[in-house]
Amino acid sequence: MYDLELDKVAKEIKDKKAKQVIIQLPDGLKLKTQEIIDYLEKNTKAQIFIWLSSTFGACDFPLGLDPLNIDLMIQWGHNRFYKEVW
Amino acid sequence: MQLIYKDAIWKKEIKLGKELIDYLKKNKTKSIALFASVQFLKLDKVKNQLKELNIKINTTKAKRTEKEIQILGCDTYHDSFKENIIKNSDLILYIGDGLFHPKALLLSQRKKDILIWDPVSEKKQILTKKEITKILLKLKANIKKYLMAKNIGILVTIKPGQQYLHLAKKLKEDLEKKGKKAYIFIDNTFYWNELEGYPFIECWVNTACPRIGLDDIVEIKQPLINIKEALNTEKALEELA
Repeated sequence: MYDLELDKVAKEIKDKKAKQVIIQLPDGLKLKTQEIIDYLEKNTKAQIFIWLSSTFGACDFPLGLDPLNIDLMIQWGHNRFYKEVW
Repeated sequence: MQLIYKDAIWKKEIKLGKELIDYLKKNKTKSIALFASVQFLKLDKVKNQLKELNIKINTTKAKRTEKEIQILGCDTYHDSFKENIIKNSDLILYIGDGLFHPKALLLSQRKKDILIWDPVSEKKQILTKKEITKILLKLKANIKKYLMAKNIGILVTIKPGQQYLHLAKKLKEDLEKKGKKAYIFIDNTFYWNELEGYPFIECWVNTACPRIGLDDIVEIKQPLINIKEALNTEKALEELA
């Protein structure tokens, strides 16, 4: 019953001409992986990868992906995060 | 590489059940502090239901979130929010599933229980202060161990939203001015068995997610506190008294 907005995501992938995309899901949405991959592979030409492990929040996205030439990362279950300034 | 967030909104209309309405009536609730996680922010119906019961709805914005009412798991301190709406509310009402977020609300004020409405299971639940008793006891003990420690390990993550290397450097400088020795350790996700490799560290200070120095300390063998407590131990102990 969660709105994954897959049509909008596919459009964004196409608009951004992203060739390689990685998706990141919190534990509660990991069971949606197949649905997301099936839809995005059918409706875009991008190669879609899945981040295997944790996504503790919008504060937590993987670094070190630059050598893989990934154009776009999509994280579900979170929204924009404002880091606390100390 | 660009990054996009999709909040995965709950599609069904969110409506408080009879069980919860009866509870509010029974307790003669006049005001509530309303919070929800990002999936459950479409609360028009809930707000109308509360208005019909003549209950005043108090809302605020957590400093790290994008939207009013929304709460994050890291909102565990009273200054995580723009305004202290809890103080002037009879009850705290959280809308969402799971206990991770309402537990943050409990930790942020440590006094009032949290009333939960879960729109997925359509059930009411109450999260009581008992849930955090162990955490607060261990926290107090760990702060005392930190004050006594001569060799301190400071943990820094490379996770972008949790990385506070500058604070670690500041703390190391402060500690070394006091004649202690501090070491800064860097990693991505912390696995607690890794701490065993450094038995000369008497206490650890976490600069990453604040839930580490709260929920996780119950299970971590070594004493560990968050940077917030480390920078002001006196205030932290006062709040735990």
